[in-house]
Amino acid sequence: MKNRVAIIGHGAIKIGKYPDRAESELAMEVIRLALEDANISKEQIDGLFTTPDLLGNIGLQTNQLCEYMRITPKLMAEVCCGAIAGGLAIRHAMNEITLGRIHTAVCYGAERESSIGWFKDFGSETGSTMLEPVALQPYGSRGVIWAYALSARHYMHETGAQEEHFALAAVRNRSNAMDNPLAAFTAPITMEEVMKSRQLSSPLKLLDSAASLDGAAAVVVASEEFAQKVCDKPVYITGWGQYHDNSCFVPTDGCSKSLSSFVSTKQAAEEAFKTANITPDDVDVAEIYAPFSPHELMIPEDIGWFNKGGMITAIEKGDTEIGGKIPINTDGGLLSRGHPWAVTPFYETIAIVKQLRGEAGKNQVDGARIGLMHCEGGMLNNALVIILKTD
Amino acid sequence: MISEKPNFLWPTNIDHAATKEFWEGLQRRQFLVKKCHRCGEIFFPPRSHCPHCLGNDLEWVELNGKGTLHSWTEVNIAGPEFDTPFLLGLVDLPQGIGRIVAKIVEAEAHQLKIGMPVKIIYADVHKDLSLYRITIDQ
Repeated sequence: MKNRVAIIGHGAIKIGKYPDRAESELAMEVIRLALEDANISKEQIDGLFTTPDLLGNIGLQTNQLCEYMRITPKLMAEVCCGAIAGGLAIRHAMNEITLGRIHTAVCYGAERESSIGWFKDFGSETGSTMLEPVALQPYGSRGVIWAYALSARHYMHETGAQEEHFALAAVRNRSNAMDNPLAAFTAPITMEEVMKSRQLSSPLKLLDSAASLDGAAAVVVASEEFAQKVCDKPVYITGWGQYHDNSCFVPTDGCSKSLSSFVSTKQAAEEAFKTANITPDDVDVAEIYAPFSPHELMIPEDIGWFNKGGMITAIEKGDTEIGGKIPINTDGGLLSRGHPWAVTPFYETIAIVKQLRGEAGKNQVDGARIGLMHCEGGMLNNALVIILKTD
Repeated sequence: MISEKPNFLWPTNIDHAATKEFWEGLQRRQFLVKKCHRCGEIFFPPRSHCPHCLGNDLEWVELNGKGTLHSWTEVNIAGPEFDTPFLLGLVDLPQGIGRIVAKIVEAEAHQLKIGMPVKIIYADVHKDLSLYRITIDQ
């Protein structure tokens, strides 16, 4: 990519429940942290891009924040496209910077899922109207867990994976989260505890599942020229891929579509590797978007680190742990970090930025130079992959 | 056991021009899908436009409701309108329309096997609404 763009600062709060704080307050907190980290002033914010605040300020949250923070950005946008929104906000900033319209942008998201969120109340009408009326609304449970469960069972059928393999991924994530100050769940867990946890939608159990929680995170994005003036260690965005594969777990375009390998993930990853001019093996550390533990196995296979079913032995051998072939979700992943859905891609990006700057503490991957961030929106049919790199 | 819960949600498109006939078909024990006059595509769920050629000159055709079980789950977490647990299946329909999801009835989890033959049956859940279910095709 020419006209390189860098991430020069980050800020985030610990994921959890913030019933007595407004989204704008959480947003201001993380933007301040990100500006301090980037060592720039609020007057230097040219662009302000955020994730959807669908139930809160009907698209006016950036306007509100400008007033709250007394800032005057040249460009603003609220980017909405399912749970990849955080990644697309960064994309929007990158485009505007590449076009030369602005030098810096703050991309942020603030969500209070536990109070006013989309999935907070399974009884609310909002959770079901996203489903196809004829095919899904009256039959399925609300939310999406049943679809991931159907996918998990078919993966087991195809590859011989056992529920214990999924549990191992949950344990790996928890072990990593224990040293992440931003993670919601930090108490140690064992494979037996995952296996004995309450069944939610077989074969998925409580500890195989991500919790929808409150969170807020921000990153400062800048042109290479600006980044080199203010930042010792800019983290450059060097690769990008996005792909939408029409229908998802319930394909309406035939019966040949796999439930355990995803065209969108493969295509997005391939495009990202191509634009970054690297191969999967060049990646030192990765964050993948797996709201349920079985997808901690499927997605690394689709990205290209393992063959189909190869994650079964990889998770047993520790290939995705810190020090392994490809350390994945070194900050706990969605399962243990917690999952404020549209903000999650920011948390993933921040985890990679910290790794590449050598700030990941006990979870530091030695010598990490190239990182990959994967996120998805919809039901594994809309994937986004970003490659980040330090010089 | 008689439940006080409805165990269904009202579909949001029950009165829409493009889908009304589908819901009426279920009351008559017919599983109706759409066929495009312009390109011949048969598709489901029923919508106003053909997903293949985007034409909107469509007719209804009836499927025989036979398929194979592609995957299944026992659901323990659902909206307050539903009793849990219940079984949910994903079914490959052989007549070219892709997959459907529905509750599996008259079967236990231990009887279910990926690839087994299943068929669509019908349930009157309200005087104005019938839904499709799936069951093992003996």
